[in-house]
Amino acid sequence: MRIQSGLTAALAVLMLLLGANADAASEKLTVLNPLGQPPAIARIPMAPRLDTLDGKTIYLVDIGFTDTHQLFTEMQDLLKSRYPKTAFEVRKKAGVYYEDDPELWAEIKAKGDAMIIGVGH
Amino acid sequence: MGIPIVGVVTTAFSNLVISYSGKQGMPGERFAFVPHPITGVPAAKCRAYLEGQDPVTGKPVLDELVSSLTGKLTAEETATGFIERPIPRVVEVQDTEENLTQLFHNNGWTDGMPIVLPTEERVAAMLKGTSHAPDELVGKMQASAPHEAWSYTVEKVAVNAVMAGARPEHFPVILAIASTGAPALFTSTTSFARMAIINGPIRNQIGINSGIGALGPFSQANAVIGRAWTILSMNLCGGGRIGETYMGSQGNNFNYNNLTFGENEEQLPEGWKPLHVQKGYEPGDSVVSVFNGWGITHADQSFGKDFHPQIPRWLQFISPWSPAILLLDPSIIKQLKDSEGFASKEQLIDWIYSNTKVKAGDYWENYYSVQNFTRPSAEKGVEPYASWLKLPKDAEIPQFSRPERITVISVGGETNLFWQAGDFGYLSSASVDDWR
Repeated sequence: MRIQSGLTAALAVLMLLLGANADAASEKLTVLNPLGQPPAIARIPMAPRLDTLDGKTIYLVDIGFTDTHQLFTEMQDLLKSRYPKTAFEVRKKAGVYYEDDPELWAEIKAKGDAMIIGVGH
Repeated sequence: MGIPIVGVVTTAFSNLVISYSGKQGMPGERFAFVPHPITGVPAAKCRAYLEGQDPVTGKPVLDELVSSLTGKLTAEETATGFIERPIPRVVEVQDTEENLTQLFHNNGWTDGMPIVLPTEERVAAMLKGTSHAPDELVGKMQASAPHEAWSYTVEKVAVNAVMAGARPEHFPVILAIASTGAPALFTSTTSFARMAIINGPIRNQIGINSGIGALGPFSQANAVIGRAWTILSMNLCGGGRIGETYMGSQGNNFNYNNLTFGENEEQLPEGWKPLHVQKGYEPGDSVVSVFNGWGITHADQSFGKDFHPQIPRWLQFISPWSPAILLLDPSIIKQLKDSEGFASKEQLIDWIYSNTKVKAGDYWENYYSVQNFTRPSAEKGVEPYASWLKLPKDAEIPQFSRPERITVISVGGETNLFWQAGDFGYLSSASVDDWR
């Protein structure tokens, strides 16, 4: 009798522990969001597009990544043959690819009607 | 600029430029894509790319370029105003630990290993590790320039520290790292790594290892502080998003822990200053210093000979565009001081600078980073590069452009005259005491 009651008590404790584990595993948690705060985005309207390329000057600007200039000379050649009434000027931006080139931007603003810029690696 | 512009970009960067232009306020910015890469691709192949289809949109590339400059603008493209991006303090989903952990993994908020979920109670306990208010602004961080900078509070850093398994006593170091604004996952196609070196009393107070196994997985402090830097870099600046805010072609295994260790100051001989003192702090200050680089390696040395004459040959594996860091076991430093006569780190650094050379022809012709980053500066007249560009090919120039590009650190437990070196350069230091 004594052995049987001992076994019953042990079984009861085991059931309680198993139940507690099951409760912990199914408990619904509230957790904090780890993300920082991104800034608000200020919308910038795009510049009006051209009605035609005829008579316009389009700058093709190579940002200066090593050994990519050939893409722009080929682009100039193809566009010239397709749009003979348009001037296509190839320029290489001064400095490292991520550096600003205010002189070039001023030239394009004064003399250009549009710009194609690229290209990275 | 006020005129129509279209970007021509390679496919590897399509997600990046679309996402980036949206964050800069032009979600409709027009692009034409060509196959990746263009670098080194012959002209005829470039021509074929331009005559072919855009691999992203399927449209002819030349048509796309022209229509981008001439096609009418949509209402979306001419919109003005602001787009707010509020971040709720609490994750909106309540769920089980298992499901929430998987949600964090799926959202790209973790390094893929098990995390501790940031409950209110756990974050509150972490905040007890600092005297600073939870809502105090710690800083701003970018995945890299020119990506946008996100801001974050003490509480946000605590959330990420909990996730990494940190304890409250580690928190001031993690806050100091966060205050530098340097992301662990600096995005570049070249897979950067970072390094965090901790100096001062904090090392012994929280168990930061600077002795035997300092660079290995043997200290909870080294492990969780380094890991916290990675996790907070994913979440506090939106970094580490593959194809968008992370572009490292191979990735870097150091990103898991960011080479986080203490300098073994106690074994520095007289005259050899610890790093933080070299950077202007007092010896009793606790400081973390962060570095940027790619890798470290060990080059064999000849025992029984002087150590320092062997250094220039070993350092040839580092690009002359990169800086250098020497991680020297204190036993080597003692030999340098006692047997070879170097009275300070600075004296050794000056010797390395003066005796580690590269031929000008080799410098300008054989290193992509020199060609891509240094040559344009030389052509603009930036010294000393402009003068180096005029030198004959066989002229010798310093491999490291100035002594400040070389760092010497004491680390290790003197079980071997062992050393490692890498192409890491100093970024900045931050006081840990300021964040206690």
